[in-house]
Amino acid sequence: MRVVELVDVSKIYKTEFYEVKALENVNLEIEEGDFAVIMGPSGSGKSTLLNLIGCLDKPTSGKVLINGIETINLSDKELTELRRDTIGFIFQTYNLIPTLSALENVELPMIFKGISKYERERRAKKLLGIVGLEREMDRKPNELSGGQQQRVAIARALANDPKILLCDEPTGNLDTKSGEQVMDIIKEQNEERGVTVILVTHDPTLAKYGNFIIRLRDGKIEGIEGG
Amino acid sequence: MYLELARRNLQRAKVRSLLAVIGILIGVMAVSAIGIFGESLKATVLENFEDVANELIVGPNYYAGYRYVDEKDVNQIEKLPYVKSAIPVKSDTLLVESKKLKAYLQIYGLSEKDAEELFDAEKGVIRLKGSCVVGKNLADTGDIKVNSKITINGREFRVAGILEDTGARFDINPNTAVIISQDDFSKISDKGYTMVIVKADRLDHVDNVKKAIEERLNSREDKVYVFELSIILERINEAFAQINTFLMAIASISLLVAGVSILNIMLMSTIERTKEIGVMRAIGAYRVTILKIFLLEAVILGIIGSSIGSVLSLAGGYAIDYIILQNVKYVFQPGTLFYLILGFSVGLTTAVVSGLYPAWRASRLEPIEALRFE
Repeated sequence: MRVVELVDVSKIYKTEFYEVKALENVNLEIEEGDFAVIMGPSGSGKSTLLNLIGCLDKPTSGKVLINGIETINLSDKELTELRRDTIGFIFQTYNLIPTLSALENVELPMIFKGISKYERERRAKKLLGIVGLEREMDRKPNELSGGQQQRVAIARALANDPKILLCDEPTGNLDTKSGEQVMDIIKEQNEERGVTVILVTHDPTLAKYGNFIIRLRDGKIEGIEGG
Repeated sequence: MYLELARRNLQRAKVRSLLAVIGILIGVMAVSAIGIFGESLKATVLENFEDVANELIVGPNYYAGYRYVDEKDVNQIEKLPYVKSAIPVKSDTLLVESKKLKAYLQIYGLSEKDAEELFDAEKGVIRLKGSCVVGKNLADTGDIKVNSKITINGREFRVAGILEDTGARFDINPNTAVIISQDDFSKISDKGYTMVIVKADRLDHVDNVKKAIEERLNSREDKVYVFELSIILERINEAFAQINTFLMAIASISLLVAGVSILNIMLMSTIERTKEIGVMRAIGAYRVTILKIFLLEAVILGIIGSSIGSVLSLAGGYAIDYIILQNVKYVFQPGTLFYLILGFSVGLTTAVVSGLYPAWRASRLEPIEALRFE
């Protein structure tokens, strides 16, 4: 099944004085279970592409289909539900809620979905177990290392059992060892649970995790390797 | 959980939250304490009028050519239903002379029984047989003592008693007057009954008594006018309600300031937490969820500030009553509860209204913009 499809997608940022073409006529198809690595230099449009797939932003023209659903005409509420139920986000800066414990951070997307306290606690503990942090579940983000925070963020991203995992430079702020741990967990989710992973990076060493690599330059797909 | 999240967010900026709570607390305290004081002030003033509230004054209708209320009419009034007593009063302005005083003063002719019902003696006794009683002010200015002698219209009277200061009254004002018996009165003045003080058996029968008197006495022509003293009570009530509203409006300025400070604090908070809002929106929070979280923070600040403020306003009301009225018995009357609830509600409303804009603003943030915020 095709979980992500971009048809002739352009994104243009307009200011009073100039126009920036962040993406230009991008066509892309990602199938369920793929591990796609998007690479390219700064300003090539990687993050813009990820934001469009993540339904955080809308294209200037073209179509974005997520899980077969055309997103352009969806209301804010429908987009929110699509993000909540289908997509898991992993950010470079982890973006955990500082007032919540690791367990509560993992519970948060389930709270937004209205899952019962018992069920979400059970699930959050299980997910923290998967990322190897069951003993740290009561700690606040500032009591965790960068690698641990990112692993909590992965558990949070998996909370509502998403089809797609969007990772924006997930190892960008981590040392090599922690980075590898994080990538191993993501890869495991892809291989064992069939979660589609779309990963944005400019670190060439991460390319090995993907089954294909999309190279972006100046808002255009320069080439697709593998797949 | 949202409540817990809101609570922790407030805890994150402890000093700031504390300041917001203090702001609301002071505002609520000012409004409630002043309300309590106003209510006590009203109760204190009304206390002086309570015993005259069931009174009606019946006087001759001068415009229809009547100078006095005649004996027959007084008897008729006495027999009406709901009438507890009818006290006919004669009065005239006559020359009073004592050792130190020579003045034209108000002289009332009353029966001894009625005089005893209306007044209390501070010195001596109320005895009107061949003697008189004088008002407190008159006794002080004229240096009149019990057993001293005064002449009224050339006739000599021994002073049997000096009356207590009665304060302001609306029927008879004895403080600067002399009271003699009706027999003696008819010997020195030819005037008849200038008024009848009628007391209804209960306050809620005053209207019935008024109607009955008018029907009985004014059936053919308007011989008498009837004036209810309870009208004065109503006027006092109205006046105090206005004064109280005004005082509380001034006090509520402090709540307005508190509201602005909450607005400011919460706006700062939304700006600081922009990225967090973006993250929550990205992982599945609706706009209304964000609105709820921020409004809950305002509600928590409002509830804490208003609760403490309400409790402290009791102490505040007590202190103001003690300092200004030197009387704290009205602090714990039922009306106080109304002002505590009012203060609490106004405080909470202020907090929620102030939190509304920042919460709305937070909920309107686009997730992508919010996530980019550093």
